[in-house]
Amino acid sequence: MATRLKEVDVVIIGLGWTGGILAKELTDAGMKVVAIERGETRSTEKDYSVPNVRDELRYVQRHDLMMNTARDTLTVRNNRSEEALPMRRLGSFLPGEVVGGSGVHWSGHTWRWTDMEFKVRSLYEERYGKTFIPADMTIQDWGISYDELEPYYDKFERTAAISGKAGNIRGEILAGGNPFESPRSREYPLPPLTPILASQMFTDAARNAGYHPFPRPSANASRAYTNPDGSKFGACQYCGYCQRFGCEANAKGSPHMTVIPIAMRSPDFELRTHSWVTRVNKDSTGKKVTGVTYTNVLNGEEFEQPAAVVLMCAYAINNVHLMLLSGIGKPYDPVSQTGVVGKNYCYQTGAAATLFFEGRHFNPFMNAGGSNASIDDFNINWAFDRAPHGFVGGYVVGGGFNTVLPIGYRPVPAGTPQWGKAWKAATAKWYQTAMQISASGSVMANRNNYLDLDPTYKNAFGLPLMRMTFDYKENEHKMGRHAADFINQTAKSMNPTTMNPATARTDPWTVVPYQSTHNTGGTIMGTNPRTSALNKYLQSWDCHNLFVVGANAFPHNSAYNPTGPVGALAYWTADAIKRYVKKPGPLV
Amino acid sequence: MGRSIVITLVCAIALVTAAAAGQDNEAAARGEKRFEECASCHSVAAGEHGVGPSLHGIIGRRAASIEDFRYSPAMRKSDITWTPETLNTFIADPQMLVPANRMAYAGLIDPAERADLIAYLQQATK
Repeated sequence: MATRLKEVDVVIIGLGWTGGILAKELTDAGMKVVAIERGETRSTEKDYSVPNVRDELRYVQRHDLMMNTARDTLTVRNNRSEEALPMRRLGSFLPGEVVGGSGVHWSGHTWRWTDMEFKVRSLYEERYGKTFIPADMTIQDWGISYDELEPYYDKFERTAAISGKAGNIRGEILAGGNPFESPRSREYPLPPLTPILASQMFTDAARNAGYHPFPRPSANASRAYTNPDGSKFGACQYCGYCQRFGCEANAKGSPHMTVIPIAMRSPDFELRTHSWVTRVNKDSTGKKVTGVTYTNVLNGEEFEQPAAVVLMCAYAINNVHLMLLSGIGKPYDPVSQTGVVGKNYCYQTGAAATLFFEGRHFNPFMNAGGSNASIDDFNINWAFDRAPHGFVGGYVVGGGFNTVLPIGYRPVPAGTPQWGKAWKAATAKWYQTAMQISASGSVMANRNNYLDLDPTYKNAFGLPLMRMTFDYKENEHKMGRHAADFINQTAKSMNPTTMNPATARTDPWTVVPYQSTHNTGGTIMGTNPRTSALNKYLQSWDCHNLFVVGANAFPHNSAYNPTGPVGALAYWTADAIKRYVKKPGPLV
Repeated sequence: MGRSIVITLVCAIALVTAAAAGQDNEAAARGEKRFEECASCHSVAAGEHGVGPSLHGIIGRRAASIEDFRYSPAMRKSDITWTPETLNTFIADPQMLVPANRMAYAGLIDPAERADLIAYLQQATK
């Protein structure tokens, strides 16, 4: 029997970027907030300081900051004719499971998604006609505009210490930045990171070919910085341990060293770690939620925490899982194409080439998470005509390094023996001489890619696992081939000694190896309760005191990393909740 | 006459001292801005430890001597007393002076900037 606790104003499930931002904003507004987090508290002082943090075995092989698959995981399959099997070891994506969430182990790439995503169906239909979009491609407009979100992007960029160069301030195109970006109100809070040889060589090659390279905007502070909340950042030391590690220098914008400690100082905020929410409870009408039921995983004790407002702020797909377990919203059915929860699950695709230059020294051990020059000519550049290539969406291409692991990074030309003396000689010879050009591509929603509850497998709490049904479709194959051709052409123009060319991902998707922790959709935002789970304020259409915050709200996935709009939408939702508590009810 | 020389001398010394103090203050003010690079880990308030130990009272203190801070073995074995001179050497290249210490900082290369920072530390950590 669960122990019933005293009601609070707000309960937050999961304390990463979105939960941290909302905890800070809502305690600032005078609300009493309880956050419930599965993982434990980790800090830069105790956990991420040198030398302990530089442990490839602990953080990369053993996933020390990630979801524990012995307790809960997903089952996966490529299509409905297959039987889904549990993912028993993390691979393709890595949800975080500590205070700070995936915001601790990210690299920091922070983009502003534009109306090309938010108005995707309208724009493509207007330009290319309705038949250009395949019948099974369930893309839809998001119900929000870039202009609405701009002040919130700005706010998040300042909180997280983004280093970059603006390409468009209030319509004026600026040299050195991304000329295709939508107008921003002002410059980034910090100048770009110091370029490295690989990013400079890619910049030169792209510029010579007529493209528009720029330094990738990233939450790696290029110099010491104090954010508007007073959180202090050290300057990035280019230590090479970014992705999958906490930052030893407090230079990577992360919730555990910004919004969360500020919320913790408020007497109105309480954090409960090692606590696993198993259900969001509804009242008898089913139109409101009453709070959450959770288990203390250290001793198995169960609690009910009543709250006036519930915020799901867990990792995107875990939010979807909790919606399905709680029976909120109608589950999506791919056959009848009815229901909304689990719909439009998306991922990302990509292609990469490795270039070898005998005699060059790239010093791959020395870089920041965002040591990368990028081009957007095939992404948010609307002048890039998709008609001849027949795909919707785009891809961003980058050259540089991010977290080149001392043990794991072994670039060798294709055909090198995979073990023994010859392999050892090759890895010593080529280590310093290799660089990569890679593309990250969008994945459009498809009626057959979705999330639901698995009929067979259960987690440690006896609850059904979530089942992921996903594969890349022809649209992504076409884009991948275009990206691979472009990368190989650019790579050849740089005259490498040899290269491992890029190829499109056209084989069925698998959970190994690592690909990207950019899972989106499942409880999408939109304008119509019949086709979306949330309104534009990420408020549930079904239960008006429930908000589901994160990339779970994205109706499709773009080429960009998701954290920019995830952070912006968290601030946007915070403002909506401040209005909501004055006059509870549907905000739309 | 002798008396006026004395007065003149006293005035001159006072002026020189005042000028020197003024320069120190200017350097310390510049150094305070430099300290922003240190502030995400270090505080100058007594007993306030972050990723690094509090710097309160650092001048004249032996390295690794605050009881409630967990120092690296390298720092504990370093046998250094912090003076403007040893701080100058350390901040220029922390791994050179104390190999395998835990400070996540590559070093401040510019000697003038180090002088400013140390001028600030001398004032702010008293």
